[in-house]
Amino acid sequence: MTTQLIDMREALRQALNEEMERDANVFIMGEEVGEYNGAYKVTKGMLEKWGPKRVLDTPISELGFAGLGIGAAMTGLRPVVEFMSFNFSFVAADQIISNAAKMYYMSGNRFSVPIVFRGPNGAAAQVSSQHSHCVESMYGVLPGLIIVTPSNAYSAKGLLKSAIRSNNPVLFLESELSYGDKMEIPTEEYLVPIGQARVVRPGKNLTLVSHSHMINKCLKAAEELAKGGIEAEVIDLQTIRPLDIETVLTSIKKTNRAVLVEEGHYFSGIAAEVAFEIQEKAFDYLDAPVLRVCQRETPMPYSKVLEAETLPNVPRIVAACRSIA
Amino acid sequence: MARSIFPVDRAHILQQLGKTDVLEALKKMLLIRNFEIRAEAAYLQGKIGGFFHSYIGQEAIQTAAVMAMGMNNWWITSYRCHALALLLGATPDSIMAEFFGRVTGNAKGRGGSMHLYTERLLGGFGIVGGQVPIAIGAAFSLKYQGIRDQAAICFLGDGAVPQGAFHESMNLAALWSLPCLTVIENNEWGMGTAVAKAVSVPRLAEDKAPGYGMEGFTLDGMDFLHCYGAFLTFSKNMQANSRPILVEALTQRFKGHSVSDPGLYRTKESVKEHMGRDPILLLKQELEQVGWLDEETFTALDTQARETALAALKFAEESPWPDLATLERDVFAPENL
Repeated sequence: MTTQLIDMREALRQALNEEMERDANVFIMGEEVGEYNGAYKVTKGMLEKWGPKRVLDTPISELGFAGLGIGAAMTGLRPVVEFMSFNFSFVAADQIISNAAKMYYMSGNRFSVPIVFRGPNGAAAQVSSQHSHCVESMYGVLPGLIIVTPSNAYSAKGLLKSAIRSNNPVLFLESELSYGDKMEIPTEEYLVPIGQARVVRPGKNLTLVSHSHMINKCLKAAEELAKGGIEAEVIDLQTIRPLDIETVLTSIKKTNRAVLVEEGHYFSGIAAEVAFEIQEKAFDYLDAPVLRVCQRETPMPYSKVLEAETLPNVPRIVAACRSIA
Repeated sequence: MARSIFPVDRAHILQQLGKTDVLEALKKMLLIRNFEIRAEAAYLQGKIGGFFHSYIGQEAIQTAAVMAMGMNNWWITSYRCHALALLLGATPDSIMAEFFGRVTGNAKGRGGSMHLYTERLLGGFGIVGGQVPIAIGAAFSLKYQGIRDQAAICFLGDGAVPQGAFHESMNLAALWSLPCLTVIENNEWGMGTAVAKAVSVPRLAEDKAPGYGMEGFTLDGMDFLHCYGAFLTFSKNMQANSRPILVEALTQRFKGHSVSDPGLYRTKESVKEHMGRDPILLLKQELEQVGWLDEETFTALDTQARETALAALKFAEESPWPDLATLERDVFAPENL
């Protein structure tokens, strides 16, 4: 197997190009995806490669083009819609929630909505309250949506290809802070299946469960913990819905302890859901309370010291782990 | 400024349609009327739940649109969707069964009265204005796929015009030159709010369309022949230039916004006056004048439509409920991985 060293944005671009090559019904649209080469350069060079029929610059009109994409998906196409930030999806929320999520069931199986909404989710670097929200727990409450959260270039490429081939609406949540992260990934084509979590670091003393950019923090925390003799098993959920709770349970049955790390907030978060399912399905295996390290209950502050304090960080993760290990 | 009603040579249209087709139109309108009357009665008996939005009074518009443009297009409408589903070939049985929440229903009892579908009807949408972006998406697909002899036809009420979805969709449709015919059925009331209290300009198509760089026209929505002729012209124009068109069809709903609306915001006299321009009676009179219809035939057609509606009620009532074991099925479409 040959490999290539590329960053996450290049991995995403390769996924888009390969799927557009494979299926003429796949196209990408969004703000600045064409002439500007993408706000975060994920679509760099794609307008030149595919032309304006398949790489469409949209006006600043998220409600309009999200809905247009859903209509196109219902009538035979496979749109990939880029949100410059998933925080901008809020103005398109009615289309995502009332139309995309519910259509297949509500129409008695008549119309499916094979569409991918992708873009950066959560915090970047000091972009303040209205550009930093994590949306997975908000959209996670809606049956009918698939929610995917890659943490590195390998999963980003393989999962995006699976998302584009899915017959259902997928929210594909990237992290701006991970776009530049480089990794050796296969040169040959591969897919990463939706709905499977992955053990990214084995360990026997406790289980750290997280997703997206926070995996990096968990891996750093695990290194720190290892110095003190605590071996943490780190699990990357990769997909939020459908949630692969089995991989989490298998780990907890071995480690008997869990700390859940989420970039989004505590209240009604993904960690809250995972914790509930753990107590429901692995109660007898737990030797300590399940703890969470999440974003504190504030809008995202601008100041870098406050931003660092509200987000989960390595010291908070390490402290939580030590308190139960 | 006063509206200018789109010019149609009605006499010519009548001859062009011919007796058979125009009687077919009347039959369709009578079916819609009778179907709505019977369904509403069943609703009042507690046999139908949820919301119920009747199309009575507005029959000419969608009947004319489907007959003039043909089923073979993408069709999209609001929750007031019973008529369009009937016109596009959903059987009265399957629609009534849907109202009754039965497994034989149009959407397996999952959608209800606001969410009806056919092969070419994308819905029945429950959020005011939420269907308009879907319609331009369907028009986008046609253009992307190089299909030039079809269009997307979207119906919405006057109440949807102030929604952001309408504005964003019209901008995109004109900007990208999408073959989408957007028909605002102005029945003057967004639930109980008069259109003049909701929209800042009086002419919903003629005033709005120029701001998007598209053409806008006004139709007499109570006049089948007029609407038919206009939709024929729009269809030809869109096939020729792939440009979107915005239409305001002036109409009246004879019933409340939904069954639960007693209509206290308008006088009985005004409703009565509007009913003097009942689209079915107008067409009936016209056909009587040219000698294509007599009272006896009309009564027979009406009876036939009533019997179809009654048979649909019977079918719905006798249909089985959905199997509870199927509740959690089909939240996701099957994957071909």
